[in-house]
Amino acid sequence: MYIDQLPSVALSIILIVSTVCIYQVFTKLQVKSKAIWLNPLLLSIFVIALFILYIDMSFQQYFESTRPLTNLIEPAVVALGFPLYQQLHTIKRQWKVILLLLTLGVFIVIPVSILLTVSLIAIPEIAVSLSLKSVTTPIGIALTDALNGNSAITAFAIILAGFFGALLGPSWLNFINVKSAEAQGLAIGAASHALGTATISKISYEHSAYGSLALILSAVITAVVSPFLIPFMFFCLN
Amino acid sequence: MKNTIYSILAITGCVIIGKLTAYLIGGLPSSLYGLICFTLLLHFKILSADRIKLSIEWAIKNMSVCFIPAGVGIIEHFELIQKHGLAIVFIIFISTFILLTIVGLLFERTMDKQNNVHITNRSTL
Repeated sequence: MYIDQLPSVALSIILIVSTVCIYQVFTKLQVKSKAIWLNPLLLSIFVIALFILYIDMSFQQYFESTRPLTNLIEPAVVALGFPLYQQLHTIKRQWKVILLLLTLGVFIVIPVSILLTVSLIAIPEIAVSLSLKSVTTPIGIALTDALNGNSAITAFAIILAGFFGALLGPSWLNFINVKSAEAQGLAIGAASHALGTATISKISYEHSAYGSLALILSAVITAVVSPFLIPFMFFCLN
Repeated sequence: MKNTIYSILAITGCVIIGKLTAYLIGGLPSSLYGLICFTLLLHFKILSADRIKLSIEWAIKNMSVCFIPAGVGIIEHFELIQKHGLAIVFIIFISTFILLTIVGLLFERTMDKQNNVHITNRSTL
């Protein structure tokens, strides 16, 4: 491999195209096998991580070369305005309950994550990162930077929270007798953001609509609340 | 094809408005302002929902590919993972399930109540 001799644009194109192709292959595989645990995102990350370790490429180089993909997260978040628009009539009827529940969720999940992290790991930086794991990546990362967390850990935690909700969320909710599409969508959108919502969108239209609604509102609530709540938690713990 | 270009322009416009708003007022991340702007433009029919529907649905279906590079970043943190990996996974697992359970159960309960009110209202009429 002569990676260093390639012009950076060529390297960029090669890496982006292979990343997208690997993702496509795993997507096809999942569609064919219908197994929800064959998650294309998880498998792609795993294969690419092994690959760049194998060819001895630095993560920084991979990340900078595939920067256009990361930059697409912002327009992708904006695109989520479409399912939200489609759900506006639902909010009109239930907005008080939904807003109240999601705010309650944020006020429970941030303190629980911080308390658990401080008692088990005792690194404040990681406590900040883990407490922001339920919101969609661009917002989680932006908040992490503002609140002195570790953005790589946040990115990882966000993906993991997404997986747990996407892979186990529907069966867990069925198990505790939460069976309506609306409640399942709202819960998974609140806990597992875009990743969970993208996965459950295949189940039904209501899942995707309530999921997008929850992920968007939770992100807004977290962005408003966390700059006060997280420093307050640390203040109380000291 | 025309609709695809229309969709890309619509999204780009909202991204720019989001960035400007975040720059001027601050507070929320710019992508959230962009999202709110996109929703409002659709709601007030300034943007045509019919024309963007197909492209946007395709984009949302495939958006997880954008998270791959950030996810690969985990190889930077081997030491931390070796030391605290289990605890980190445990914390994420527990807090995610607490959130799922609370939001799911409470919303299901309130919807049941609302539906019951509906039914009783109808039967009394």
